[in-house]
Amino acid sequence: MPSLDPMNRQANWIRYATVGASLLAGAIVWEVAGHFTSGAFWAPLSATLKSLADLARTGVLLRQGANSFELYVTGLTIAIAVGAPFGLLLARLPWLRVALEDYIMVLYATPMVALIPFILSIMGFGFAPKVLVVFLFAVFPVLYNTIEGARSIRPELVEVAHSFRSSEWQLWRDVMIPYTLSFTMTGIRQAIARGLVGMVVAEFFLSPSGLGQMIMTGSQNFDTAGMLAAIFVIVLLGVGLMDLGRFIEKRFAAWRGYNP
Amino acid sequence: MAGIQPVSQGGALALRAGADSRPVRLASPLVLKVAAGLAILALWEIVVRSLAPAYVARPSGIVRVFFFVMRDAQFLAAAGATLWAVVQGLFVSLIAGTAVGFLMGRVTVIEYGLRYYVNSLFATPMVAILPLVSLWFGYSGDARLAVVVFASFFSITINACDGARSVPPEYLEVAQSFRARRLSTFLDIVLPSSLPYLLAGARLAAGRALIGAVVAEFFLSIPGLGYYILYNSRIFKHNEAFVAVILLVATGVGFEALLKWLTRRYMPWARRG
Repeated sequence: MPSLDPMNRQANWIRYATVGASLLAGAIVWEVAGHFTSGAFWAPLSATLKSLADLARTGVLLRQGANSFELYVTGLTIAIAVGAPFGLLLARLPWLRVALEDYIMVLYATPMVALIPFILSIMGFGFAPKVLVVFLFAVFPVLYNTIEGARSIRPELVEVAHSFRSSEWQLWRDVMIPYTLSFTMTGIRQAIARGLVGMVVAEFFLSPSGLGQMIMTGSQNFDTAGMLAAIFVIVLLGVGLMDLGRFIEKRFAAWRGYNP
Repeated sequence: MAGIQPVSQGGALALRAGADSRPVRLASPLVLKVAAGLAILALWEIVVRSLAPAYVARPSGIVRVFFFVMRDAQFLAAAGATLWAVVQGLFVSLIAGTAVGFLMGRVTVIEYGLRYYVNSLFATPMVAILPLVSLWFGYSGDARLAVVVFASFFSITINACDGARSVPPEYLEVAQSFRARRLSTFLDIVLPSSLPYLLAGARLAAGRALIGAVVAEFFLSIPGLGYYILYNSRIFKHNEAFVAVILLVATGVGFEALLKWLTRRYMPWARRG
């Protein structure tokens, strides 16, 4: 956070210098390591960037990126569209929530990758099974957190609404949805990160496509620079999406004093 | 709005019984939970029986093979290999991640220097580096261990860093006033006060480590639960494969429950997340 206070300005200066130096050192290590190891193990930064530029110029990066993006957004959208309303429903029906919450907790903790071989052998190749994988990775965080939110709704709020004879619809609009939304957003932040893992896993182990396929092709052809370029893109994507998730969460969760 | 009215009225009526903010008094929670579990199993059984091919896993089939699989030497070896790799990897991550995280939390320059690397590698899906790891370590257990460490290291580091930073400065000042040695400051103040953070990190890390081990086995085809699932599902023995999934789920949930219990039992003051 930039500040006008001279002491802090000096601290900021140290900070930027350190960050800059460490990024520069990382780049140098990457470059040097590439020159001193076999080309199959590691590629220099310069070769990676050149490979990335080539991939961008030929349109491969854009095409594969769009492919991945389509899969990711479809799976994530369905996960949110299913998880949030279902969680809200459980918020309003305490008996259903009590009945199901333990099972949802178990599914939340289940390593979904373990289901991929089943999905592959039942649904085969194609777009739908991959969407299912992204969906399975992303839906449970949304559901789980929405339920957590529902559980923490203070009964007084509902009681006051009832005392003022608010209709069911008003109760939802003015109490339930605004209250649980902030928790749902925490779930969506987690879903954004998990969905990305699901996307790469699906592209690896179901029909190869998108950025996952780029990594695979690079590794199979011993084109380490090409592989590193694709991994680099995924790292950037991961960082960007995580920042996006934090931003969304902060925007909606500020009132409960939550600061991720 | 008028169009919605009848529906919402119905909903309100159905809920009047529970409107005093307590679950409906019709049944105890335990009965509800068991009933829901049975309903889920029945639904699964019926759907698979009527819609899916015969080899697809279903509760009755899983029960039939369960005890056979649990005594199968090959399965036990696979389970041992995977869980041992997870334990080893978590141990390495816990030690190294805590050390790096504490350094980052207490020494500003180190934090500035490493922050971007730790954050971006934390955000990276570890699957993406699998091909690279297989190039470095070959198709071996070492590669699996590396993936497990990579998957779990950064979440522990980040939490250790947050924990070290959350130490109340007054405690450190008091320690300094009494000329406490650095080691005792660390052991008696920094470590205990960041313990809840470390446990939160370990919980996150355990889940990621388990996923990492399974994915690594898929990719590398080395013996373990992941490969057991992959192999058996390929030869259409889904029921057998699903037993391995159950074991994985039980491990994940069991570890989660253990850490929750530890936190509540030994750190009742820590109310975090």
